[in-house]
Amino acid sequence: MRRTNWLAALLIAPLMLLILGSFLLPVGFALFTAVADREVAETLPRTRAALVAWDGQGLPPEAAFAAMAQELGQALEDRRIGDMAQRLNFERTGMRGLLLRTARAANRLSAPYATSMVTLDARWGAPETWLLVQRAGGPVTPLYLLRAMDLQRAAGGGIEAVAADEALYRMLFWRTLGISLVVTALCVILAYPVAYTIARLRAPWSSIALTLVLIPFWSSVLVRSTAWFVLLQREGPVNQAMMALGLTEVPVQIVGTRIAVVVALVHVLLPFAVLPMHSVMKRLDQTYLRAAASLGANGFQRFFRVWLPMSLPGVLAGGAMVFLLAVGMYTAPALVGGDRDQMVAWFIAYFMNREVNWGMAAALSAYLLAMTGAAIGLARVLTSGIATSGGRA
Amino acid sequence: MRRLLGKLAGLVLGVAAMASPAAARDLTVVAGGGALQDHMRRTLFSTFAGGPVVDTAYDYNVGPIRAMVQARNVTWDVVLVEAPDLIRGCEDGIFERIDYNVVNRAKFMPGGATTCGAGAIGWGVAVFYDEGRNPNGPASFQEFWDTTRFPGRRTLRRGARITLEAALMGDGVAPADVYTVLATPAGQARAFAALDRLRPNLVFWTGGQQPIELVNSGEVAYALGFVGRTANGIRAGARYNLRWSTLLYAYDSWAVVRGSANAAAAMRLIQHITEPGPVTELTKLWPINPATASVANDPEVRARNPLMMTNHQAGGLEINTEFWLEYGPDLEQRFAAWVNR
Repeated sequence: MRRTNWLAALLIAPLMLLILGSFLLPVGFALFTAVADREVAETLPRTRAALVAWDGQGLPPEAAFAAMAQELGQALEDRRIGDMAQRLNFERTGMRGLLLRTARAANRLSAPYATSMVTLDARWGAPETWLLVQRAGGPVTPLYLLRAMDLQRAAGGGIEAVAADEALYRMLFWRTLGISLVVTALCVILAYPVAYTIARLRAPWSSIALTLVLIPFWSSVLVRSTAWFVLLQREGPVNQAMMALGLTEVPVQIVGTRIAVVVALVHVLLPFAVLPMHSVMKRLDQTYLRAAASLGANGFQRFFRVWLPMSLPGVLAGGAMVFLLAVGMYTAPALVGGDRDQMVAWFIAYFMNREVNWGMAAALSAYLLAMTGAAIGLARVLTSGIATSGGRA
Repeated sequence: MRRLLGKLAGLVLGVAAMASPAAARDLTVVAGGGALQDHMRRTLFSTFAGGPVVDTAYDYNVGPIRAMVQARNVTWDVVLVEAPDLIRGCEDGIFERIDYNVVNRAKFMPGGATTCGAGAIGWGVAVFYDEGRNPNGPASFQEFWDTTRFPGRRTLRRGARITLEAALMGDGVAPADVYTVLATPAGQARAFAALDRLRPNLVFWTGGQQPIELVNSGEVAYALGFVGRTANGIRAGARYNLRWSTLLYAYDSWAVVRGSANAAAAMRLIQHITEPGPVTELTKLWPINPATASVANDPEVRARNPLMMTNHQAGGLEINTEFWLEYGPDLEQRFAAWVNR
């Protein structure tokens, strides 16, 4: 008995390792990056130690000033000051200038540092500056998770909203959710008749139709999104056709609007809705329909009372799949969307590649992950409800 | 837990490192791609006597460079970088210090030789428009903001850098005062208010080719775009009026990625590709703005390329790198919030 357990564990070990290595570790690492606060602890360890005992009243002891001056100078010399400067500057603009100015002047400063540093820059005489450094001592911080929800720590302690002209991310998540829901709904509505037709086609035609659905799969998302850009642009075929038909006098601006984003996303994601629906419908027992007919149900009733409830698990699976992919879409909105159409993924890439602020990128990813997790949970709850009611029907 | 994670991550990286070919890699140089890089390959890289050079393109995103330095799996040697990325990367130890025993410090323009970067080429943005569509156009940012005298849509770069400077000048701030004003909350509010006024007539571009396309298709009347591309359009016969009085410019530099196994050869390559000989050859193919002083000041080069930025730089505003390092994260965030509103 024990041996078979062991053998079973061995057999699934590759799978478990794959899940661990390709899913749990990276996701765990990303989630940890969203709360990690290591820059100050790594670059200013003695300053941090000197600040631990400080009660936050008045100014910190001379030891903290001295450690700060020496460690800043050393960090500049060793070329590892940038990360820490960016970390503190992200929380309060201007910190980068203060830190670098002090680091460059470090070997001209002399004891008592509490005097010479304040002479160099009055901000060292303000308790807020030191509180900022103390709070950034790590090992974890809510800074990025708060900022990704347009919140920040208030000077007095609690949590407050960021200034109205800096608020962005909550709106961004609502927008991402809205676009994803619209795209999901459209995909489900468009995919259902397709899946239904394919499921009811006879042998050679059903596989031909399925291949036609699959063909767009073979080209990349980038190519398909670019194609929409070409089609929808100002002097593109769509506008030309509309002008030829007399629908509009002047070319309509489509690229750079929400409509273009939805159209491109629906096109890119449609196969993901068709395939799960088709696989569920293909396995449905046609005898139920005949039984319903023999009991006197008309075509309408056969569809709405028999076929639709039985195919709902496929609808939910397809819808969930489309939603999950839509939430994380980057390429299509970036190509055909306008200034007000970018989704969360655009900002994740921005923080990763341009700002090199991985904490912020990870925090946005964490919320996006929570959003998709909630969607999966909802879909599961809904499917289990349908499965039982479907069993009764 | 964290130590365990670190160990596992190390193990994964170690395995990856073993799997990657450890054999000697050709010297790899990375620039912005496009036709300019084709010309660089012909005149700069292929004329290097110190061994074969391969080149590849990137989109000026430094995230991947940081990742390769941290993972100690450096596959790029020499990179063309923008000024803010150079300074931050130098402070963080992402780039090697330039060996000025190998690279001749004296040949660069003032400020062109820094700790981690050797001056490469300048770039700039300026207002331009198609004279075929609009005989008259704005000659200053104040006129660019004047939608009664110059009706029609305009395009600016989507991002705080460059755009906020333009907004302040459009509101009447003198170029010399732009960064002093933009450092104050009142000045920042003023810049965003100026953008608010122009917004009904404003579209934003993200890629460098877009301003050209937007102007060519008539989607916008006036654009703020890269002078190099505009100049090439003019040389190819387009009827752009390029307003040099609105120039904002900066210089890119060559840097060596820290931990490069070819660091010594990389320094020799940088010495070669900033030499007057090869750089002069490059100016014959493309009106670049070299940071090599003797080429930039060569009357023959300047006469051959009337559209060289170097010829018009005197009245322009140099983009303040230190300002953007300090205020960039905050202002970019506010710009993103503004543009999405």
